[in-house]
Amino acid sequence: MRIICPFCGERELGEFTYLGDAKPQRPAADAGEDAVYDYVYLRDNIAGVMSEHWYHGGGCRTWLKVTRNTLTHEISAVEPAAGAGAAKVGA
Amino acid sequence: MADFSWEVRSPLDRALVAGSYGAQGDAGVSLTEIRNFDLVQVMARRGKAGEMAKAAQARFGIAAPETPKAVDIADATMIWSGPDQFLVLSKGGKHTIEALAPVFVGSASLSDQSHARALIGISGEKARAMLAKLSSIDLHPDVFGVGAAAATSMDHTSVTLWRGGDHDGQAVFNLLVFATFAESLWHTILDSAAEYGVTIGHSEELA
Amino acid sequence: MRGDQANRLNNGGLIDRSIALNFRFDGKTLFGFKGDTLASALVANGVKLVGRSFKYHRPRGILTAGSEEPNALVELRSGARREPNTKATTAELYEGLEAASQNRWPSLNFDVMSVNQLFAPIFVAGFYYKTFMWPAKFWEAIYEPAIRRAAGLGRAAQVSDPDHYDKVWAHCDVVIAGSGPAGLAAALAAARCGARVILCEEDFVLGGRLLADSGMIDGLPAAEWVARAVAELSAMPDVRIMTRTTLFGVYDGGTYGAIERVNDHLPTPPEHQVRQRLWRIVAKRCVVAAGAIERPIVFAGNDTPGVMMASAMRSYINRYAATPARRIALFTNNEDGWRTAETAIAAGLQVAAVIDARPDVSPAHRSLASKGGFPVLHGAVADVDGGKGGVRKISVSLTGGARAEVEADGLAVSGGWNPAVGLTSYHRGRPKWRDDIAAFVPDGAPPGMVAAGAANGSFGLGACLREGFEAGAAAARDAGRSGNAGSMPVADDEAFSITPLWHVAGKGKAFVDQQHDVTASDVELAQREGFQSVEHLKRYTTLGMATDQGKTSNVAGLAIMAAVSGKSIPETGTTIYRPPYVPVAIGAFAGHHRDENFHATRLTPSHHWAAEQGAIFIDTGLWKRAQWYPRTGEKDWLESVTREVKAVRGGVGFCDVSTLGKIDVHGPDAGAFLDRVYINAFSSLAVGKARYGLMLREDGIVYDDGTTSRLAEDHYFLTTTTAKAGLVMQHLEFCRQVLFPELDVQLTSVSDQWAQFSIAGPRTRDLLKEVVDPAEDLSNEGFPFMGAREVRLRGGLKARLFRISFSGEMAFEISVPARYGEAMARNLMIAGKPFGLTPYGTEALGVMRIEKGHVAGPELNGTTTAGDLGLGKMMSTKKDFIGRVMAGREALVAPNRQVVVGIKPTDKARRLRSGAHIIPKGETPGPDNDQGYVTSVCFSPVLDQWIGLGLVERGRERIGEIVRAHDPLRGEDYDVELCNSVFYDPDGGRQRG
Repeated sequence: MRIICPFCGERELGEFTYLGDAKPQRPAADAGEDAVYDYVYLRDNIAGVMSEHWYHGGGCRTWLKVTRNTLTHEISAVEPAAGAGAAKVGA
Repeated sequence: MADFSWEVRSPLDRALVAGSYGAQGDAGVSLTEIRNFDLVQVMARRGKAGEMAKAAQARFGIAAPETPKAVDIADATMIWSGPDQFLVLSKGGKHTIEALAPVFVGSASLSDQSHARALIGISGEKARAMLAKLSSIDLHPDVFGVGAAAATSMDHTSVTLWRGGDHDGQAVFNLLVFATFAESLWHTILDSAAEYGVTIGHSEELA
Repeated sequence: MRGDQANRLNNGGLIDRSIALNFRFDGKTLFGFKGDTLASALVANGVKLVGRSFKYHRPRGILTAGSEEPNALVELRSGARREPNTKATTAELYEGLEAASQNRWPSLNFDVMSVNQLFAPIFVAGFYYKTFMWPAKFWEAIYEPAIRRAAGLGRAAQVSDPDHYDKVWAHCDVVIAGSGPAGLAAALAAARCGARVILCEEDFVLGGRLLADSGMIDGLPAAEWVARAVAELSAMPDVRIMTRTTLFGVYDGGTYGAIERVNDHLPTPPEHQVRQRLWRIVAKRCVVAAGAIERPIVFAGNDTPGVMMASAMRSYINRYAATPARRIALFTNNEDGWRTAETAIAAGLQVAAVIDARPDVSPAHRSLASKGGFPVLHGAVADVDGGKGGVRKISVSLTGGARAEVEADGLAVSGGWNPAVGLTSYHRGRPKWRDDIAAFVPDGAPPGMVAAGAANGSFGLGACLREGFEAGAAAARDAGRSGNAGSMPVADDEAFSITPLWHVAGKGKAFVDQQHDVTASDVELAQREGFQSVEHLKRYTTLGMATDQGKTSNVAGLAIMAAVSGKSIPETGTTIYRPPYVPVAIGAFAGHHRDENFHATRLTPSHHWAAEQGAIFIDTGLWKRAQWYPRTGEKDWLESVTREVKAVRGGVGFCDVSTLGKIDVHGPDAGAFLDRVYINAFSSLAVGKARYGLMLREDGIVYDDGTTSRLAEDHYFLTTTTAKAGLVMQHLEFCRQVLFPELDVQLTSVSDQWAQFSIAGPRTRDLLKEVVDPAEDLSNEGFPFMGAREVRLRGGLKARLFRISFSGEMAFEISVPARYGEAMARNLMIAGKPFGLTPYGTEALGVMRIEKGHVAGPELNGTTTAGDLGLGKMMSTKKDFIGRVMAGREALVAPNRQVVVGIKPTDKARRLRSGAHIIPKGETPGPDNDQGYVTSVCFSPVLDQWIGLGLVERGRERIGEIVRAHDPLRGEDYDVELCNSVFYDPDGGRQRG
């Protein structure tokens, strides 16, 4: 598999590390145990298009949000994490 | 009281044996370690990429790379190392972290990497063939031209690779590798290059 | 020229008769020519019997002339280079080649195990499943060794492979599999358009079928056209032509695997060269021009030596000038097979008969028969009379029921052609059936790939050229190249007509899969026993599961399956296709990464100095770390380690701790950031101070620990454990970029920038005074416990000094830029001489941390909470941090959790072992009474006995209790006392002093 890093260009899989579903958002500090439980443990196992976290650790060390079809491995979009680089204030 | 000498030793000090290695005849690959350099990582603070760029422009008289490129000036090279960050490679103590700190105060965070990497210059007719064994990126001259840079991996080891100016009509690739990995990668490089014949040397200073 | 190759034609062939090559087959010296394969040289020497079959040990000959060969498998080379199951049909002949037939004992001609044929009824489909069921204990002792002796193929070399292999990346616009007419035309078109082209050909000569079947292209004889095409391609700088290279797989994102047999054609690789090379080719487009494989017809005795594929026979005659037989019969169900009769006549051989399963034969072939003086028999081969001496007589069932007999010493068979649909089907593609050619053809392909020519079911020469050319031009265009493809090569298309025939019913064994000895009746039996799906059929009968992956057998097998189950072939379907297309040596996948290069190695800055001191190194992750420094006269490691510990506790020692992960945390929000990743507060840490920090995973389990110092308002220096350094960096980047993008913080790994040494022991300060500039105040007031700041060393070097202790002694850690690391070690040794400074390794480090009750890897094991480690009080209640909420879950704060506690045997002389289970006194060992286990142990020089740490249920409440350490693995069971985990200096006076 190859992933087009928005900063480095197309790179081979070996430069990246997979983390998992990029949808769940870390709950606010006061969200309570159930919300955090959901965030930590409850994951959709999607056969199809899924948004995933990948880390370009073998390259520019940017966390990426990769939209990938888990059935075909087709990647339809790659975007950097919100805090990649010196994220623009207010952007 | 003991008399201290602070002898500097490159991470390749032991592994590098100057001379030739591998197949006899005209060497296809030339390896030169550069031992004396300053290297500073410059990372923009949040929302300050523009200010960092201005500061770099003011200091070096040229824009710092915003894409995977290496930019040469008279006494330094700025090498892209990730989004909103670059490395300043220099010689002669002109652009040490102490010298650069005031330049980027408020706009970027600086980290000294002068001792964290080994620097190897790779050239020769078979340089690309050898590098293809280590690097998964496309080094074809149309794709990876003079000044192209990459933050990538070789042999599962993070490296910074860029193409310097050609020398005697031949491409020169520069490789920064983490110091503690350097000896291991060096042996891998020699293994990969052995079939082409290798000339090995080192130089104290950046060219 | 050597004249005694009995079956070598006097003229023709792509062999160099000026270079004769000696080789040995089963100990007999023979010779062939440069350009031969082992198989063609054996053919030329009249060798028909080349091996014994897998189950029945039946005599087998050469069936094909390519990588689809099921029978002619040999052990090539000898000693460490012995390579079993090598196809004689693809092994290039070289001077001194040694090959041995397989699967026979004592000799190929007289094989004891061929009695298996008499027991044939028991070797049916599912034989292993049915026969060796019970008694179970017989399996390992009797059945398996016996089966392994009797069955199986060649013998692997029993020693390490002396050759080198490497792996390489390549990038191109268009990669082409196959250099037959379609492949060459594709390469020409793509290259002329300006594309970067890689052309892979598994043979050692380019041309594909054109090497054996002539024709006219652009008005030139095929061979001449090939030479011109190759010359044109070779002159283009961005075209890479790779012979001896099989494109064996396609992977996601346009990545292709290819294996190049760089030096398999030589006895040993030249110095500094590899034997084989694994290519990972990244291509925008791929043209599969891999051709087609001629398929057999299944009939009784179809495995008799001398029965050969019709196209293979042409290859041997035309390409190698070697005649597999003198008097050839041909059995075909299609037009193409007739070419073998033409070839035989042209070569001056006799044609005994053509047995054609079709009702009609073209007028041209009728006249060929009458000119050649041989009969055309309409019908099918019913049986072959031969044995190990090869084909003698062929019985034919004629259409209408009559029988005929044909005397011949060779039988060429053509059952039609199967396009090589492997590559196009590797992404779960299912080929589709085409009635007109009675074959499966690709139905779509992985992204970027297209099949052309015979691989696409287009068998005519003109069609191959046209499809290849168009595919090559389109691929170049799709890859963004806009050049002119020039003119398309042109040739006539031969007619192709076929009447499908898969299996001729008859007596005697009729083999579908010759390599795995699967017969037509095995397939029928499997169907009767309920194995209806082709996937089940495959696994039950092992059809297609041998090293040839059923290239000559799969389609026939499923056609027979279809017939017996009353379904059509497309309804029956194919099994899933999976790479690699040909066997690939594990050595090629490993490449450089074997033995000491299995993984990259990291060396500490003082590594070479430590090696000079005679240190014993241990692999810790990628690192080599000094484990201890033996001295002359010390009888074992324990003596050395004990000495090192005593030296530290009684004087001063030092240890390279550069392997700890080190991260610069910069930015105005650095403190706030660390507050969120550690359970304790760091924003409140004063500049110039260090603090021990603990990180949790979001599920509340401990992730990592280390000390972090504040060097400036906006600059922290964070350390991690050695093991987690990379992962913590990744985790922190995740926190920074994904979880907390609003924070202004920058992270840089500085692990390699700093050489860091721990200096520990009561005389640490005395030593440091010799090392540090006299102006620096190292007193308790000037540099208190947990102080951290930059200092100047004697000689002017700047360093960082941290007053932290892992050993429980008065200790500092000192950091210098890494290139001074070795000098630091040497200078410390000089300065420390008066104090008996002793370097110590990771073992002594471990002993001292256990004596002090510090947790490390065995306790931070992915199941423990901060509370379990006795660090629960560190958890801040004033801030949110990663893991906070989940750490509060009922089970993670349950009072009966297993927590860290000290453990020591009641018998002081007893050795404590980690892994021992803790069982209450008087209880029976077992899961119900298992209360935890010993995690870390050491011999404590201070206590003069073995001590340890363990995770024990309610451990801290049970100090003083005697329990059992039960160690079934080592057969030990002894009493231990649960005690305070801090064995040494529990109030910490020494480290603060």
